[in-house]
Amino acid sequence: MTPAQMDKLGIGDDKVYGVIGEFSDPHDLVAAGRKIRGMGYTKLDAMTPFPVHGIDDAIGVPASKLGWIVVCFTILGILTAQGLIYWVGAVNYPLVIGGKPLYDVSYSIPVTFELAVLFSAFAAFLGMWAINGLPRLYHPSMVYKNSHRASDDRFLLVIEADDPMFEPAKSADHMRTVGAAEVEVVEG
Amino acid sequence: MSDHHAIHAETYQMEAARWQAGRNTLAFVALASILACLAGYFLDAPRFFHSYLVAFAFTTFIGIGAFFFVMVQFLTGSAWSVTMRRIMENIMITIPVGLILFIPIVLGIKEIYPWTNPEVVAASESLRAKSAYLSENFFILRGVIYFALWSLWAVAIYRQSTKQDTEKSIQQMHVASRWSAPGLFLAVVVGSLASFDWLMSLMPTWYSTIFGLVTLAGGSLSFFSIVTLVCLGFRRAGILKDAITDEHYHDLGKWLFALTAFYTYVAFSQYMLIWYANIPEETEWYRHRMEGGWFAISIAMPFLRFLIPFFVLLCRAAKRSKTIIALIAVWSLVVEYIDLYWVVMPTYYKDGPQFHWLDLATLAATVSICGLVFWSRFQKHKMVPVGDLRLEQSLHFENA
Repeated sequence: MTPAQMDKLGIGDDKVYGVIGEFSDPHDLVAAGRKIRGMGYTKLDAMTPFPVHGIDDAIGVPASKLGWIVVCFTILGILTAQGLIYWVGAVNYPLVIGGKPLYDVSYSIPVTFELAVLFSAFAAFLGMWAINGLPRLYHPSMVYKNSHRASDDRFLLVIEADDPMFEPAKSADHMRTVGAAEVEVVEG
Repeated sequence: MSDHHAIHAETYQMEAARWQAGRNTLAFVALASILACLAGYFLDAPRFFHSYLVAFAFTTFIGIGAFFFVMVQFLTGSAWSVTMRRIMENIMITIPVGLILFIPIVLGIKEIYPWTNPEVVAASESLRAKSAYLSENFFILRGVIYFALWSLWAVAIYRQSTKQDTEKSIQQMHVASRWSAPGLFLAVVVGSLASFDWLMSLMPTWYSTIFGLVTLAGGSLSFFSIVTLVCLGFRRAGILKDAITDEHYHDLGKWLFALTAFYTYVAFSQYMLIWYANIPEETEWYRHRMEGGWFAISIAMPFLRFLIPFFVLLCRAAKRSKTIIALIAVWSLVVEYIDLYWVVMPTYYKDGPQFHWLDLATLAATVSICGLVFWSRFQKHKMVPVGDLRLEQSLHFENA
């Protein structure tokens, strides 16, 4: 494994993952995120037990690429269904059933709809995994003592070490000034 | 925050001068169009009744759409919609007017519905079998019962909502939810029966179980279109500008999008199954719409109803654009009218659509009468349910 890959997985010797600040209220998290971003930080992350409205905007998470992946697969699903119905019914084994045409838009729609939905669902699910680098068994934020509470009743804000402005002691101070109850420099 | 205080200072009461201006305009349109309708009745009664049925169905099913979605807001305890819920409720409360708007249908029953003709019934075995249900008195009685039930529920829920403006208690929310659960059945099941009676029985031998859902989906889409346009109109006049934010318009855009897809789903299901089963008494209805000038509308429907609005609204930026959702809202209302016209008129004009000034007059009459009831509520009550405990949450709501 190359050092870059190890860095990405947050493993290795002296790897600092970032500064984690802990909040007990989702609104405080959003407000703090906005302030931290205002200070000029760009590599931010948040860990919350449920989707917090407005956090993407506050910490500058770019719009997800997932929609485009899904649209491509939806179109692929539509083409697959139309191709399948046409080829099977009108080319490979032309057989008149119930006096219906060998190919007709009317009855091709349900199958087209189903395949479009099926392809989209798979693309959304697997695409989400791929974008998030899943499955992975370890994430450096797990080192933080209260990380398990990010799936219960705590809201974590992270300044990642990749950030050009990141300096462990200074960033931890910044995190305190925006109101984090607990702040820790986490080494993964 | 300064804007925070500005929101609290807002009284959510429409200014008297503005209210009167709106009322005067609506009253003038109502008066003029009612006179035009009366003239049309004496000049060409059958044409008047058919035009009127289209206009009547247009406004009634918008009311039922409002009825359904107001109850959904209560049942789901949704916070996003609170700032615009009073506008929705004011549309819902136009339902009781239906009892008056139903009168011309009763008067024109012989002109509109072929099953009122004994010769037609005697000639058809299936109509003889249906004659107990499709009889004039029972038809009128059912119409009255539908409106009475809807009105009872709509008024009960409306009262709780306005009572909460002053009481500011959670109690009214609970009572409204308790009415809402059975009310959903009333909206959908009775709404379906109403669409069978008023629209499907125009061709009494034809039947389609899903027809009710198609009609209700169209009404619901029109309802959200009207909510969108009213909110944007208010915004332009500087009313509720801080209360209904970009986030709320985004959600209205999502509803326009969702109901466009839902309408297509049910309308296509009806068409596809009838096409596939190929049973003469079912295909006859589409057959009439595939002939003459009606064919052009039939072939345009997938584009008007689905392809254009669906792909326009598909991306997030479009749903967040007030210009685009305003255009789609106007589009959906126009298409809904064309759709109902296409459902009703082929029984009158076999060869194709023929425009008549009575189409506009009857539409203006039902819309302005319902509009007056809608507007009158803004004088009596706050424009926002100020007692709702989720109001603050709704004011600061953001989409994920």
